[in-house]
Parts: sequence; C-alpha cells; structure tokens
Amino acid sequence: MTDVLEDIAGAIGRLDSEDHAKTLLTAALSQGVSPSEIVEKGVRKGLQTVGEKYEAGEYFLSELLYAGSLVDALLQMLKPAMKDQKLERKGVIVLGTVRGDIHDIGKNIFRMLADSTGFEVHDLGVDVEPDSFVEEIKKSTPDVLGLSALLTTTLTEMRNTVEAVSTAGVRTKLRILLGGNAIKKEFASQIGADAGVLDAVEGLEICRKWMQR
Amino acid sequence: MSTQRERFDAAIHFRKPDVMPWVETFWDETVIQWLKQGLPADRVTVLEWEMGRGGTLLGNMPAVRGFNVNSYFGCHRLFGCLMQADIGPMPRYKLQLLNETDRYAEFLTETGAKARRSKTGEYDWYSMPMFIDFPVKNRETWHEYRKRLDPHDPRRYPKDWDAEAYVRTFETYQDGPTMIRFNGFYGFGAQLMGIPTFNVMFYKDPELMHDMIEYWEYFTIETIRLAVETLRDRVDLAFWWEDMSDRHGPCVSPRIFKEFFLPHYKRVTGFLAHHGIDRVLMDTDGNIKPLLDLLIEAGINGQWPLEVNSGMNAVELRKKYGERLFLVGNLDKVELAKGGQSMRNEVDSKVPVLKEIGGYLPGADHLIPVEFTLERFKEYADYIKRYLLY
Repeated sequence: MTDVLEDIAGAIGRLDSEDHAKTLLTAALSQGVSPSEIVEKGVRKGLQTVGEKYEAGEYFLSELLYAGSLVDALLQMLKPAMKDQKLERKGVIVLGTVRGDIHDIGKNIFRMLADSTGFEVHDLGVDVEPDSFVEEIKKSTPDVLGLSALLTTTLTEMRNTVEAVSTAGVRTKLRILLGGNAIKKEFASQIGADAGVLDAVEGLEICRKWMQR
Repeated sequence: MSTQRERFDAAIHFRKPDVMPWVETFWDETVIQWLKQGLPADRVTVLEWEMGRGGTLLGNMPAVRGFNVNSYFGCHRLFGCLMQADIGPMPRYKLQLLNETDRYAEFLTETGAKARRSKTGEYDWYSMPMFIDFPVKNRETWHEYRKRLDPHDPRRYPKDWDAEAYVRTFETYQDGPTMIRFNGFYGFGAQLMGIPTFNVMFYKDPELMHDMIEYWEYFTIETIRLAVETLRDRVDLAFWWEDMSDRHGPCVSPRIFKEFFLPHYKRVTGFLAHHGIDRVLMDTDGNIKPLLDLLIEAGINGQWPLEVNSGMNAVELRKKYGERLFLVGNLDKVELAKGGQSMRNEVDSKVPVLKEIGGYLPGADHLIPVEFTLERFKEYADYIKRYLLY
C-alpha cells in the first residue's frame, strides 16, 4: 500500500505523463487505499517535491504549471470516490488581484498550488474593490488574505486594501500576504502587511508555516 | 567626434568610444505625463511629408509623430533604424471591440488574441491588457494559424521596398544603431498560446512544441532573408525579443531549452553571423541567469534590460562572462526615480566600474515608468552625463 503512494508521489515529483500517474492512481484505489490517504500521502507529497525542486532552481515555471495540471487531473479523477470523505483543511485563504489591476497568471498559479495542498481558497478574481475583500473576510473568516498586483501603478491599491481591512476591524487574526511582480519584500512591512513574496511557491510555504504556529 | 552609431558599435564590440552611449526607452504614457509636467510641447515631432490618411488620400500631409525624448535629453534610442520585415500574421486579424462594460473593454487583437483592458485606469497601454484567449491551443489551431505565417507573402516587405535605397538609408543613418528585430522562440509561442498553455505543452505535447519551434526557425530566417542578404553588416545588431523569465528564473528549464530551443537558436544566429551580423541582443525581463551559459552557446551575446528587482547585476555578470556578453541597462528604475542620493548611489555603484571594463551601455533596467517625474529624470540625466566621456 505504501509503495503505491510513494509511486504516485514520485510520478508527480518526476513530472511523469498524466497517463502513467492515472494508472498508479487506479492501482491505489483497487488496492483499497482511501482517497484521502492518496491525496495526503501521494498527491500532496509529490507536489511538495515539485515545490522544493522549484525553490532549489531545478524546476521552473513550465514544471510548476505541468505539475499543477497533473495534480488537477488526479484530483478530478478522485472526486467520485471522495464524496463522503473529508480532507484535512490546512487553512482558509481569501485571494484576489487588487482594484485597477486585471492580471491573474501569478495569482492563479498560487491558487492552484494552495488548493491542491489543502487550503480552502476563496478567489475573488481580478480588479477587486477593497470593500469586496472586507465583505468576503467577514463571510468566510480566513486565516490569510492574499493580495496580488502586477503593476507598480496599483501598489497604492494594496495599501488601500490593507487599510480598509484594518479599518473594518477584521484584521485581528488575519495574516496578509502580498504577491505579484510589483512587490518588493520590504513593501509589505511598509504598508502593514505580514509578508511579501517573490513567487507562488514561496507564498505557499509562508502560508504553511503560519498555519503550523 | 564619433557619431552615435559609431559609439554604440564600439561599445557593443568592447572598444572604447569617445562617449559611452547612454540608452533609454520610454513608455509613451511617461512622455505624455512629462508634457503635462513641462516638457516643451513645441518640440513635438512632425513628419513633413506623408501620404494623407494612411494612404487613402493621394496627397501629401504633415503627420504628428510624437516627442523625440531621446534627442531632447541626449540619450540613445535602443531602437534606431529598424529593418522593415513584417513577422506578423498575414492577413492580420481585424482589430475589433468584442464586449464592453463600465469597467472593461475586450478586443480581438491583430495577432488573433483576445485582450481585456481596464477602462478605469489612469493610463492607457502602460496598464497592459490581460490576454484572456489565444488563437493557438493545440495542433489543429496551430496548423490553421500557420497559414498566416507564410514567409514569402509579399506584404512582409514595405510598399516602397527598394534594395538600393535601403542600403543607402542604412549606410547613412548615424543617430543610433541599425537593427533587425524579431520574436524569439519562447516569445513567439507565448504570444500565440499564452504563457500557461505554452509552458505546459512542453510536457503535454512535445511533438507540437518541436513542430511550432522548427517552423518558427524556418519562418524567421526566410522572412528576414531578403533584408539580411541585402543589408548584411550594415545592420549593427539583431534584437531578439523573448521575455522568457520572471523574478524566480527562466520560464523554461535548461533541459527544455537544450532540447527544444538551442539548435534553432544556433541556426538563426548562424544565419545572421554568416551575413556579418555578429551582435545579438536579447530582451528578456526577469532573472535569466540559469540560462545564460546556454544562451551564449546559442549565439546570444547581449542582454537587456537586466532587471534589478529580479536579481540581475551587471557588475557580477561582467565578472563572470567577460567579453562574452555586452550589457545594456541594469540601473534600478525605482531607485533612479527616487532621485537624490538613492539615484546617485545606483549610478555610482555600477557605471564607473563597468565603463572601465567596457561592453556596457548604461540605462534604466526597463522602459522609464510613469512614476518617474520629469524633474527627477532631468536630475538623473544631468548626473549620469558626468560619467559618459572617456
């Protein structure tokens, strides 16, 4: 049983073909391995390896995107078998690109990774008003608010959003993470956010650490 | 005294010119802001003679052509005299408005992509559209698109193409470099498929990637062949647009680069070199360091803009690569725009040392952004000019 989970993790970590990964998944199910165990010890472990290789400079954007699509295909395949099983939830993230900015490639990569890793992600999309972030925070009480911006001209909107969240009184336990090409790490502390990250993998790693505390 | 072109040519060949060429490019929106901030509007360039209304009037009219901000400040244009070979789809897709709301407008672009633009932003192109759909998605759509990429379509050359006249133009042009410009193999694919799809396809459908990239090599060489064989070394350098990296690193791994790109790069740079075009400047934002050895092997010998925010450092690159790479840019535009000591520190930390070694053309690490005020740019211009004389 353990072997097949390691095989699945290995297939994802090595970026094997989708067909091969699906064959291993079918084998795991036929051996009676529970879907939640497949996700935790196979799929997410494999994705963790991909993240580590990305941070180590062995994998790059192509590898990250392919791993994401591979994991997505496996999770889709597992869906019918998972209908009564609950996965461990790592935390809740509200996510969006700030007002005035309509770019979402980086945000979508982060969402895909966070989702596959076990975070519940509420993605508000692009060009999101500060008040819309506040409303969603009130509704879903997230652990993390993720703000994305590609353009330097929309950095002021990150500041406006952080201020709106603080003014609305929903900041107490909430961590705020900034990402996107326009972000420098020191900008986060300048506007009262908790962290600024250079890429989606680094952002996910920070969210993981926050959840462990 | 040397001409600007001679200075540029000396610098990219690691010879010392009389004056180090200072190179800047500007967003149009920045220039518009500067006109509001006091740039003299009476210096707006007007072309004296042009066939009226894009050729729909058989008569000659003056045409407003913008503000020559490079000439005003005394910096070089990166794009001097450009060889006019059209690498776009033929026929073009018809630019049209597809949808519009209070906040957004969606367009079909001339390359066949669908783009969404914010209507609420303060700036125009500077805010960059978000591309939401692309014309090539798989083998079928690629084969369909390829029909528009016939290198022998006569529309690829100007209506007034005349080899002798073009030779004279390229020989006499002295305001900056003469140049040929085209998309590289990553840039072309990402434009036609979008970044996520193109990147994933190296794993999902490698045969399609080989087919697309091989065709782009054929298309590029055949499209530029007539101009290259006509102008030969009157072209000072090739400008190779890729944008193949982000802050983390290249979008593709060295393994993918070797397998999918390297042989095709070599054939295009080999074709250029065979005709005396020995300088190839790659334009990629982001951190390209993990691919630099392979790019040099591929025949790329210049890099711009060397974004500081992505960890690029021209002094380190010079130490590591010596004369194998000429370098353009790398002055942190954010620090320059702050003015005062921040600006001076940024210039002082790089320009003097790189000037001494050579093969460096100073300038900001990308186009001058709208946040850079006219007053601060004047301050920067005055300061950097102290370093330019040899």
